[in-house]
Amino acid sequence: MPVHLLGIRHHGPGSARSVLAALAEIHPDVLLVELPAEAADPAVMGLVADPDLVPPVALLGYVTDHPERAAFYPFARFSPEWQAMRWALAAAVPIRAFDLALAHVMAFGPDRDEQQADVERPVDPIAALAAAAGEDDPERWWEDVVEHRHSIDGFAAIAEAMVAVRSGRDDATGTEALREAWMREAIRTAQADGFQRVAAVCGAWHVPALTEPSLRSATSDRQLLRGLPKTKVTLTWVPWTHRRLMSKVGYGAGVSSPGWYAHVFDTSGDHRQWLVRIAGLLRHRDYLVSPEHLVAATRITEALATLRGRPRPGLAEVDDAAATVFGDGGTGPLALIHDQLVIGDVLGSVPAHAPMVPLARDLAREQRRVRLKPSAEVRVLELDLRLPLGRQRSQLLHRLWALGIPWGHPDEGRGSSGSFRESWRLHWEPELSIRLVETSAYGTTIAVASTARLLERADSTAVLADLTGLAELALLADLPDCVTPLIDRIAAHTAQHADVAGLLDVLGPLARILRYGDVRGTDASSLARLIDSVIDRTCAGLANACRQLDDDAATLMAERLTAAGSALALIDHPARAGSWQRSLIDLTRPDVAHGVIVGRAVRLLADSNALALGDVAGALSRALSYGTPPRAGAAFVDGFLAGAGTVLIHDATLLGLIDGWLATLPTDTFDDVVALLRRTFGAFEVAERRRLGELLSGRGDGRAPTPFGWDLDESRVTLALGTLAGILGVGPTAADARSVTV
Amino acid sequence: MNDILRPRAEDRYADELAALATTDDLPRPPGWKLSPRAVVTYLIGGTLPSGMVVIPKYIGSTRLIEVAVATLATDRALLLLGVPGTAKTWVSEHLAAAVSGDSTLMVQGTAGTPEEAVRYGWNYARLLAEGPSPAALVPGPVMRAMERGSLVRIEELTRMPSDIQDALITVLSEKTLPIPELGSEQRAARGFNLIATANDRDRGVNEMSSALRRRFNTVVLPLPATPEEEIAIVTRRVAELGEAIEMPAARHPADEIRRVVTIFRELRGGVTDDGRVKLKVPTATLSSAEAISVIMSASALAVHFGDGSLAVGDLASGITGAVIKDPLHDAVAWREYLETVVRDRAGWADLYQASRDLG
Repeated sequence: MPVHLLGIRHHGPGSARSVLAALAEIHPDVLLVELPAEAADPAVMGLVADPDLVPPVALLGYVTDHPERAAFYPFARFSPEWQAMRWALAAAVPIRAFDLALAHVMAFGPDRDEQQADVERPVDPIAALAAAAGEDDPERWWEDVVEHRHSIDGFAAIAEAMVAVRSGRDDATGTEALREAWMREAIRTAQADGFQRVAAVCGAWHVPALTEPSLRSATSDRQLLRGLPKTKVTLTWVPWTHRRLMSKVGYGAGVSSPGWYAHVFDTSGDHRQWLVRIAGLLRHRDYLVSPEHLVAATRITEALATLRGRPRPGLAEVDDAAATVFGDGGTGPLALIHDQLVIGDVLGSVPAHAPMVPLARDLAREQRRVRLKPSAEVRVLELDLRLPLGRQRSQLLHRLWALGIPWGHPDEGRGSSGSFRESWRLHWEPELSIRLVETSAYGTTIAVASTARLLERADSTAVLADLTGLAELALLADLPDCVTPLIDRIAAHTAQHADVAGLLDVLGPLARILRYGDVRGTDASSLARLIDSVIDRTCAGLANACRQLDDDAATLMAERLTAAGSALALIDHPARAGSWQRSLIDLTRPDVAHGVIVGRAVRLLADSNALALGDVAGALSRALSYGTPPRAGAAFVDGFLAGAGTVLIHDATLLGLIDGWLATLPTDTFDDVVALLRRTFGAFEVAERRRLGELLSGRGDGRAPTPFGWDLDESRVTLALGTLAGILGVGPTAADARSVTV
Repeated sequence: MNDILRPRAEDRYADELAALATTDDLPRPPGWKLSPRAVVTYLIGGTLPSGMVVIPKYIGSTRLIEVAVATLATDRALLLLGVPGTAKTWVSEHLAAAVSGDSTLMVQGTAGTPEEAVRYGWNYARLLAEGPSPAALVPGPVMRAMERGSLVRIEELTRMPSDIQDALITVLSEKTLPIPELGSEQRAARGFNLIATANDRDRGVNEMSSALRRRFNTVVLPLPATPEEEIAIVTRRVAELGEAIEMPAARHPADEIRRVVTIFRELRGGVTDDGRVKLKVPTATLSSAEAISVIMSASALAVHFGDGSLAVGDLASGITGAVIKDPLHDAVAWREYLETVVRDRAGWADLYQASRDLG
C-alpha cells in the first residue's frame, strides 16, 4: 500500500504540471490535499468542480462568531493543489483534506492563527537548498532544477533534498508538530479505509515528516492530538485577484509574478509567446514595436540564458531583454509590462450559491444595528448627526462608500463637515451584492475591509487632492486606523509637490480634518506639523507661483487664495498674522502678479485689517491710474470686488472707500475707468446693483440698512451678544436671552 | 610606461585577460578573444580556478553587464545610457578590451565630429596625385574595426550632429560601409560590433533618429545603489586621480567623502537615507562624478593652500556650486535641505554654519 507523497511548492506552476503528470501515472484511488480538514465538506469541496468557481479564488475559513478572525487559502489556476483537486473531481477520485482542522487552529487564539505554517518554519527550505547549490535566488533555483522537468522522479529528488534540509534540525514544534501529526494520522486512516494507492499533495517541507521511516508511532500522534481546543468555524469560497496573490502581507501568497506563472503553466514558459504578448501590449499603448524588435528580443533572451547557464530563459531573461530592446532605456514600458502581464488583472469568481461570505453577514448585522434595510427602491434619507443613530448610519454609509459599495450616494449640496445634517439617496442594486462578495477579500468585517480598501486606494494614487479626499472620507467613516497612514502619505507628497496650487488646495481639507476631525486615534500633532509645513512651503513659493499666469489661471489662483485664507481662519493659524500675511503683501508689490491676484490679496489683507484703509485706497488708485494698463486695472477691481455685491451693501467702510476714490477722479480719468468698473459691477445681481445705487444716491425706500462698520451701537450689540451667548450655552441662560430679544 | 598618465585597459589588466583566456573553455563567438561568461567575469570580478583574483572593473548590477555582453554577442549594437559618472565610458572601454583585446578604436562624439571620423577620409596628396585608390583612403576607427572584426566605441553619440550619427545606420543594418568613390565597399568581418555611450540628460542635444535607435539595445547604467558602493567608488577614484597627478592625499578624507556622497545621494533621490524626510530634487546632476570633483578640488585647496586637511568651508562652497545650477529652483531646494536636514544632523553643525555663511 504505497503512499505517493507529492511534495510541491505552493503556487508553483511547474509543480502543478508535475503533479498532473504524476497523478495520471499513479492514478491514485484517494487524493489527500494539504487543506484544513473541514474543506473536505462536499458543500465546500464540491464547488471546485463547479464551472462558475473560476480561480484565482481563496478558501476562506473564519470563526463563526468572530468573523474578523479568518484565514484565507488562495489558489490560482496554476496552483498544484487546485489542479490536483480538479483532476480528482474529474476522475471521480475521492478527495480528503488532510491538514489540521481549522476548528483547532482557530481555537488556539489570535496569536497563533496563521494561515500557513511557513512562518513557523525554522528556515526557508528552498533557500537552504538553493544556497547549497550556489544559487543566490531560491526562486530561480527551484525553477531550474525542479519545475523545468516534469517527471515523477522530480518528487523523489525533492523528498530526498528535504530530508537533508530537515535533518539535524529539531522536530517540528507547536502548531507545526500538530499539523504533521494530523497529516500522518490522516494517511493511516486512508490506508485503514482500504485505499490501495494513496496520493498526498503537500508542501515539500512536510514530505520528510510523512515518509515511512519517520512515521512516528500512531500512539504518540494520537496522544498529541488528544483534547485539542475547538471552536466553531465556517468555510466558503471568495473571489481573489492576481494582485492579492502577489502581496506578501496579510493573506497574500507572496507570488511575485502570478501572470508569468500562469503563462508558465499554460505554455511551459515559452519565451517567444511571452515576448509576442509583450509586443501586443506595447503596440496597444502606442509604443513602436516592430517584428525586428521581436527578433532582437528573442535572440538576446536566448543569449542571456546561455550566458547565465540556464536550461531555458526565465522571467529574468525576458525582463532584461524587454528592458533593453523595447524599453529604450526608459522604465515606462517595463513598469507597464510588469503591471499588465507579469502580474495582470485577473479576478476570480464564485458561484452564486456558495455559502455567504462573512462580510455580507457583517453588513447584515450592521444594517440591523442601525435599522436600515436594503431596498431596491430609491429613497432619500435625512440624517441628524447630533443623534447617535444618525451618526452610526452616516458612518456605515461612508464605510460602504469607502469600500466601493455605493449603497447610499451623498446628496449634492449637503452641508460641509461642520453641519449636522446629511442627506443620502439610498438604492440597493443587485450588483452591490456581487461587489460585496468581490470585496470580501479585503477583510471579514465592514470596518476592517473598508480600512484596507482605503489604504489600497491611497497607495494607488499620486494626486494630492485625492489623498486629502480619502483622509476626509476616513474621518467621516470613522476609520481611525487609516487616518495616520494617510496623513503620512500626504506629508510625503507635499514635500515633493513643487506646485503651490496643489498645496493651497490641500490646506482646506487638512484644516477641516484638524478642526472637525475626530482625532481620537489620530496623531493630531503630526497633522498640525503637516499643516505648518504646507503653509511654510506655500508661503515660500507663493510669489513665484503667481507670476506669469493667464487670466483663467489667475482667477483660479485668486479663488485658491480666498479658500486658503478661510482654511487658516478656520483653525486660527498663527501664520494669518505672520508668514501668510507677509506673502500676501509681497503679492501686492508692483509687477509681481496678475491684477486679479493683486486685487484679491489686497482685499484679503483689508478684511483682516492688515492693511490700513489709506493703503487700500492707495492700491486701488494705483491699479486704476493712468500708468497701469487698462486690462490690469480692470483685473484688479475684479479680484478686489468679485462676488462682493452684498458685502458692499453692508460694509460701509469698503463702499465709502470706493465711493471716495471715484469722487476724486478727474472727469477724463473717470471716463476711462468707468468702462473697466462696469465689468465688475455688471456681474453683480440686479438687486444688488439697485440697492447700491440707492445707498449711494441716498434715495430708495428710506429703509436703507445702516451698513455695518466700526462705529457700532454698543447697546444694540450687547443685546445681540446676550442672545448669542444663550444659543452657545455660555453666559446668560437661554431664557434670559429670549426675554431680551422679545 | 611610468610616464603614461593613463594606460589602456588591455595593457593595465593584461595579466588578468591572459589568465582568463587560458582558463576559459566555453565557446567563444567568432572574433572574440574570450567567451561571454569570461567577459562578464572580467568586468564584475571573481576568482579564477588558478587562484588569481580578477578585480571588479564595474561595481554594480551583474545583470546589466550580462545584458550588455549578451547584446554584443548578438548582431545588435549596444547603447550605454546614464548620467555623467555612471562609468559608461569605463564599461565600454573594458568591454572592448575584453572582447577584442583592443580598446583604441574609438570615436569621440562632439558637435564638430566630422563624417570622416565615422567613415573614412582621404590622403589628399595621394588623392590629387593618383586619383581615388584604396591606397589614398584613410579608414576611420569604424572602418578599421569592420576590417579587423573587432569592437568600436562611439563616445557621447548624441553630441554628434544627427546626419553624422545616421551614417552609422548602413554600418549597423547591412554590416557594410559603401565607398562610392572606389565603387567598392568595406564588409564587416565577424566579431565586429559597436558600443555607443550617451548621457541621458543630454537626450535633447541631438536626438537619435528612430531608424538608428532601433538598431541598438539600450542598457541604462544606474547611479550606485547603496551608499557604501558609492563611497567605495568615490574613494577609489579620488585615490587614483591623486596618484596620477602626484598630488599628496589630504588627511582624513573618509568622513568628508561620506558626507558629500550622503548629501548628493539624498538630494538626487529626493529623500533622506533614513527615509523620513522627503526633499526637493535639484536640477543639477549630482552623480558620483560631481562628488569626486568636489572632493578633488577641496583636496587641492587643502594640500596646496591649506594645512593638508580638507577644510569644511572649501567643501561647502564646492557642494553649493555643484547643487545650485538653476538659481531659482535649486537654491530653494538647497536651502530647504540645509534647514530641514543638515541643521539637525549630529556632527554636521560645522557644515551647516559654513554653508550658511556662503549666503
